[in-house]
Amino acid sequence: MALFDAYIKKLADYQRELQVQGRQVKEIVCPTTVSELKEGLPVLVGPKASSGIILRGDTFVELGNPDIGSSAFILWTDKTKLIRDGNITLIGSDIPESAGASLPFGQVLMMGGADLGKEEHALLEANQYIADQIEGYMIKSIPQHMWSRVSLDAAGKGFNFEILGRALMAIFRSAVPKIEAMEVMFVTSSKEDLQLLDNIGEQIREISSNITKETWKAKGYDIECIQLWDCESCPDSSVCDDIKGMVNVRKKTKKTPKPKRVKKS
Amino acid sequence: MTTKRKQPEKALKLYKDDKAYMQMLLEALSLDESEEADINKGVIKAVLDKYDEVIDCAENDKPFIASWFAYAAEIFTAMGVPWWMFPQTAFLGIEAPHVQDDVDGSERLLGSDFCTILRLSLYYVEADMSPKPSACIALLHPCDGTVVVHQAIKTGKWHDVPIFGADPPYWEDERSYEYYANELRRMVGFITEHTGYTMDIDRLREVCEESNKEYALWQEYNELRRVVPCPHDWTIGPPQCFAMATFYYPGKPGGVEWFKKLIANAEKRVKAGVSGVPGGERIRVLWFDILPLMWQFDIQPWLEAEWGVNMVMNMFGYTPYEQIDTKNEETMFRGLAKRSLAEYPMIRQARGVADHFLSDIERIVKDYSIDCVIWPGHMGHKDGSASIGMMREKCREIGVPFLHIGLDLFDKRYTSVEDVKDIFSRFFSAAGLGQK
Repeated sequence: MALFDAYIKKLADYQRELQVQGRQVKEIVCPTTVSELKEGLPVLVGPKASSGIILRGDTFVELGNPDIGSSAFILWTDKTKLIRDGNITLIGSDIPESAGASLPFGQVLMMGGADLGKEEHALLEANQYIADQIEGYMIKSIPQHMWSRVSLDAAGKGFNFEILGRALMAIFRSAVPKIEAMEVMFVTSSKEDLQLLDNIGEQIREISSNITKETWKAKGYDIECIQLWDCESCPDSSVCDDIKGMVNVRKKTKKTPKPKRVKKS
Repeated sequence: MTTKRKQPEKALKLYKDDKAYMQMLLEALSLDESEEADINKGVIKAVLDKYDEVIDCAENDKPFIASWFAYAAEIFTAMGVPWWMFPQTAFLGIEAPHVQDDVDGSERLLGSDFCTILRLSLYYVEADMSPKPSACIALLHPCDGTVVVHQAIKTGKWHDVPIFGADPPYWEDERSYEYYANELRRMVGFITEHTGYTMDIDRLREVCEESNKEYALWQEYNELRRVVPCPHDWTIGPPQCFAMATFYYPGKPGGVEWFKKLIANAEKRVKAGVSGVPGGERIRVLWFDILPLMWQFDIQPWLEAEWGVNMVMNMFGYTPYEQIDTKNEETMFRGLAKRSLAEYPMIRQARGVADHFLSDIERIVKDYSIDCVIWPGHMGHKDGSASIGMMREKCREIGVPFLHIGLDLFDKRYTSVEDVKDIFSRFFSAAGLGQK
């Protein structure tokens, strides 16, 4: 299924472009089995690995605060070769060098598996929000953002993006055995770089939303009402928009007073 | 601007009686010197201030408006226009002795199939039990009921009250937000026309900045509720946060202070590992609707004592809110439009695409370590009733028990307290939850 394949290439172009512009880019190659991924990690990974929250005072670094932005999405393909299995790319600063900072945060998870399909999409999406599965790492419970915290304790144990990437790979591979290859990209370089990433993310979210609709449709449910008279589905909506625009312009234009009607005697 | 409205005597009396009732609650709480009681006192004081504001306007013929929580009250704060929430009497008279009689009265007006809270609100108008505002802001979503109520108001006792309803689009995209932002601008114009209060954009920026702080603190508080055991029980938390951020202190300085106190208390309890449920928390519930306000004293203490239930999160306590971008007028109105269309509870879930019913359940269950999801099935929430099958399916998919009860959140006679307790007990037993 080639739904996201073009975007895997776009992400590679995005990375290359930032590299050319001189961003700090680090690539790490990790092992690929769940046990190898977890081996030697300084923090626990798996259900109930953490208490679920990190208090403000216990925070070493914050990622993706809405003030500076976040962008996170997943994509998958059945062409496993498109994914650089075990690869973690970090564009920007790492966690240990960012004590007390609030970094912009981009997270892209790419997965490949010959049997991966739309049926797994919801599960893959839900797995981004790891809840209590990584010790010392918390994603805040706010939809639309990937806003997270790393604890002082975890940072003291050397928590960095390699560890986060490995933990995510282990969690995803455990939850969805059909994943045969997985690659992770993190971006912390700047709000502007994140905006470029989010331009890709927006298109991904649109595809994702269509998959969700189709999946529910297949189960016998419509999650949205489409009426024939609905503007969004009307091919002439742009004409209406133009007319509204013209009306607004007309309203703003100073009206010339109409001549008074003279009563006939 | 002054108006020449004659206020119904009964309305002022009811308002004063309800205020006296709240005053009595405040005095009762004064005996409790705990931090938690102090936090709740802050909310009751805010309620009393609101009563005073409305009574002052009504008695002295000053302009004020009736509106809803779903209209981004930051706008009203910035304009300085006094307002009260249309169903406030129904919400806040919740434990007052007259409410049951009022429900019966509203039944004579509209029958018993119509949402009780809306029915009550209309009844208070038609029975001259609501102060008559200078203008009314009608809510045209998320359900047919709100539309019907405002249509009825327009032809009844408030036929001479100017009424405005912003037209809500179905979708959640930039085009919709832009459209609704313009609707909110039209609302500002309407309010100015009928009250004389005007909008100053610099003031709106100050208010939105203050409001952003409140919402950020509310979200921070919610993170603390994820801890097992949850630091607070049903007596403190989500309903108060919602009321303070959206109604009593939207963009007002007192709100930030109140949220800070709440967080400080919750953090202290989290560090000490104190459970909100006195006997220990055994079942963490997502109550996916308004809390059973009219009869929570009948049900919540029993749930705690018998089953160790903590309603860790509910629809009105959840915080999917974006910060308002205060860069300029466009960004502020866009943010307020988005909040009004896609973030306030009930509106978010029931107005447009049903996906929020499902994605919110999935995220809350995971983040808050929820053991079961309860859709109370309020008789008035027919908009949500259409999505019960999907909610059940989603809960099956993520492996969490789902209960649909079928009751009236504002009238315990619809499904009796004993019946509801029995339904809970059978459900928890069947799901293997809450065993000691």
